[in-house]
Amino acid sequence: MTLRRPDLSQPLMLLVAALLVLMIVLPMGWLVVYSFSDKAGNPTLENFVRLFTDPDFLDPLITTLIIAFSTSAACCVVAAPLGWLVARTDMPLARTFRVLVMASLVTPPFVGAIAWEMLAAPNSGLLNQLWRAVTGAPSDEALFDIYTLTGLIFTIACYTFPYVFILVANSLDRMPGELEDASSMLGAGTWTTARRITIPLAMPTLLAGALIAFLQALNTFGSPAILAIPAGFHTLTTKIWSLFEFPPKVELAAASSLPLLVLTIVLLRVQLLVLGRRGYAVLGGKYGAPRLIRLGKWRIPVATAAMLVLSLPLFLPYAALLNTAFSPVSSQLVTPATFTLRNFYFTFTELSSTMPALKNTLILAALSATLGGLLALLISYIVARQAIRGWKVLGFLATAPLAIPGIVLGVGLFLAYTRPPLTLYGTIWILLIAFITIELPAAYQQFRSAFHAVHPELEEAGRMLGATRLRTLWDITGPLLRASVVATWCFVFVGVIRELSAAVILFTSETKVVAVLIFDLKESGDVGAIAVLSLTIVAITTVVIVIASRLSIGRDAVRLRTIAGG
Amino acid sequence: MASVELKGLGKRYGATVAVDNVSLRIEHGQLVCLLGPSGCGKTTTLRLIAGFMEPSAGEIVVGGKSLSTVKRTVPPEGRNMSMIFQSYALWPHMTVAENVAYGLRIRKMDAATIAAKLKAILSTTRLEALAERYPGELSGGQQQRVSLARALVVEPETLLLDEPLSNLDTNLREEMRFEIRRLHDQYRYTTVYVTHDQAEAMTTADLIAVMNKGRIEQLGTPQDIYDRPRSAFVARFIGGSNILGGKAVDGERIAVGGATLRTTGRPLTVGETVAVSIRQHDIELLTAAPVGGDNVLHATVRRGVFLGAARDYTVMLDDKSELRATVSADLDVTVGQDVWLRLPAAKCRALMEGPEA
Repeated sequence: MTLRRPDLSQPLMLLVAALLVLMIVLPMGWLVVYSFSDKAGNPTLENFVRLFTDPDFLDPLITTLIIAFSTSAACCVVAAPLGWLVARTDMPLARTFRVLVMASLVTPPFVGAIAWEMLAAPNSGLLNQLWRAVTGAPSDEALFDIYTLTGLIFTIACYTFPYVFILVANSLDRMPGELEDASSMLGAGTWTTARRITIPLAMPTLLAGALIAFLQALNTFGSPAILAIPAGFHTLTTKIWSLFEFPPKVELAAASSLPLLVLTIVLLRVQLLVLGRRGYAVLGGKYGAPRLIRLGKWRIPVATAAMLVLSLPLFLPYAALLNTAFSPVSSQLVTPATFTLRNFYFTFTELSSTMPALKNTLILAALSATLGGLLALLISYIVARQAIRGWKVLGFLATAPLAIPGIVLGVGLFLAYTRPPLTLYGTIWILLIAFITIELPAAYQQFRSAFHAVHPELEEAGRMLGATRLRTLWDITGPLLRASVVATWCFVFVGVIRELSAAVILFTSETKVVAVLIFDLKESGDVGAIAVLSLTIVAITTVVIVIASRLSIGRDAVRLRTIAGG
Repeated sequence: MASVELKGLGKRYGATVAVDNVSLRIEHGQLVCLLGPSGCGKTTTLRLIAGFMEPSAGEIVVGGKSLSTVKRTVPPEGRNMSMIFQSYALWPHMTVAENVAYGLRIRKMDAATIAAKLKAILSTTRLEALAERYPGELSGGQQQRVSLARALVVEPETLLLDEPLSNLDTNLREEMRFEIRRLHDQYRYTTVYVTHDQAEAMTTADLIAVMNKGRIEQLGTPQDIYDRPRSAFVARFIGGSNILGGKAVDGERIAVGGATLRTTGRPLTVGETVAVSIRQHDIELLTAAPVGGDNVLHATVRRGVFLGAARDYTVMLDDKSELRATVSADLDVTVGQDVWLRLPAAKCRALMEGPEA
């Protein structure tokens, strides 16, 4: 040991910790402080008294809970049977179905809400027009009204059920087929086996899915902002947002944010408990692939019904968006005679805010993906190899934002950085911090599992041959992780492009992003431009995801798997 | 009486043949091992018997009833068989008692009968103390016993075991081999046991069917298979065997390495290429040229390894082919020294095919 390099790990640790404090601890700290303060900054409980007594706040709170419960229930009812059909039966087009569910998952919920406005607004909605044309109903009658509580729940559920579906389908995929085979061998028929073995085993996952759906509905901002406000009611998130209108009532906003924060933290703990018990992944041994249940003559009807379900989050909304984008009047179906590119021309050349917003969005997405990815990589390495003391704290902080709803983080960052010494509000940096913080847990967990697959011995072998820790990271771990790095980068990039709830609190006219621009255009009623911008977001998202899966899933993932397995 | 009979059984996946024309009759109460390397078709054969797959050729008859044909396959739940899976497939959301009693409940027995049968089998498999535990809280050996109990308690006509011991460590595996044989002797179900471990097959089986490339290569008692392998594959797979290639000079002798060897096993045709197997410990190593005597080959020592109870030598014959011999630990020979090998004629088995098979 003649050439001992200076130990950089301690300063590095401090740097990472400081960053996490700036991103998470400080905003949440100010949030709590403000919620217990009055306008003059004196301690008080008045904010909470108002929150739970004033109907202006109590009604949104109750509405939000109704929405969360109903969405969660609706998602389970739809997603669980679909997950089972796709994973455990010989339903045709099962693979296509999974891809399409992913497609509805990457659709930003506020885009979906806007599309459903085009479809089911009482007067101009395409579906209502169709209904009137078919039945001859008078022009003031409507089949659907999307501006209702039911309409809102329906729309939120459309873009929440994919989470439940994916959880259920994945869990059924991983459930060893032999557990069902063993039941068959003992004389149980298909349905007895499903009832006694498959469903009980899938139950924890379904419960976890229900909780996730609940949380999504609880914390969503886009859909209620688009559908509830015209309908004349508020959810907690839109209420918080409205408190930032002049004159801003930040103390009340902070107080209203706390229930969301606390409820989210509690439910995430519950979810961990639910998934933690009686895990079947722990039982060792080699398992065979499950046998698929034959649907027989039901194959075609079942597949058709499944595809019909997908028309709600996917086919119908995209048809409406495309129609609006290429049509001179959004409430009329486009024909070859009326087909126009006018909306595209308007959006990209005449609308002065498009290009700055697009530029902001892409720069923020790329920066968040790069810097956030690096931060996540660093933390996950430190945690995976327990490289320095205090690694547990870092791991905890990296996952903590999972429990912070976007709009709550927005409020916290607003409170923390509209004041010296760090006056970031009004700059693009406050948005960068928000996006990195929001995406950090997902990126971190992605890298955690990737490091899990690269056995430490692979690194140790490199170090035995004389390479430093950093050198082995570069030569061995890095190349093995390339697939995960690419996937995570794209994941964060896509996440940022579609983020609305924190951005809507933190943007200023100079730092508008596309999601906010779409939301703004709602006020001026430029539906053509809204459709074009929505499709632009979806197009960018799709391209990034396709590139990511081409680059990473194909080759590297297979390589990593063989190494992990062998 | 439930004998199991496979008649010309076959299973194809597209162009790949997993099981090829397998015929086998297992009498009531017999324990037959399907033994072979991975990919030889043994597990596929077992899953065909269980009814998880449909055959693409042939028929499975159990107790006189045809259960599987190309046209019609009785589903697993209608076969009154039990199976022990490689992964044990214990249901993690049920306790040991619930796992074991599951088959009895499916058969709609009354509570008292279930309790009595449960108690009896848990005592036979020494699991009484663990009845209320969940599978995740058991060791590998205990999980294995639960899976045995669950399979046996329903008193199946046929018991199927799929590599039941491959997830256990060595000591436990030896103990469980005898346990499985003990339980078989007690209940005498017709049993099909799939394994790739020859020691496991030797200790448990009445009959061993050695499988290779989807076919049964040889069927016989453990001693049959060991003492009288019919092919090079069986000779190599069961115990360590040397395979020598030579040309037949008359009805029982072949020319090999500049000498002649008398063989047994089958009559030879003059001029044919014959593969002969001889086990490593059947070879006698001599340090001086013997006076006369048949079946002696000259060789040079290439490598010697001291194994404690014995020594293992690799020697090279005059025709450059190598043999391994396991001899007494007292016999210490240096590398490069000339030795003479005596290969007892009774142990030189002439095999059915050429040397490379």
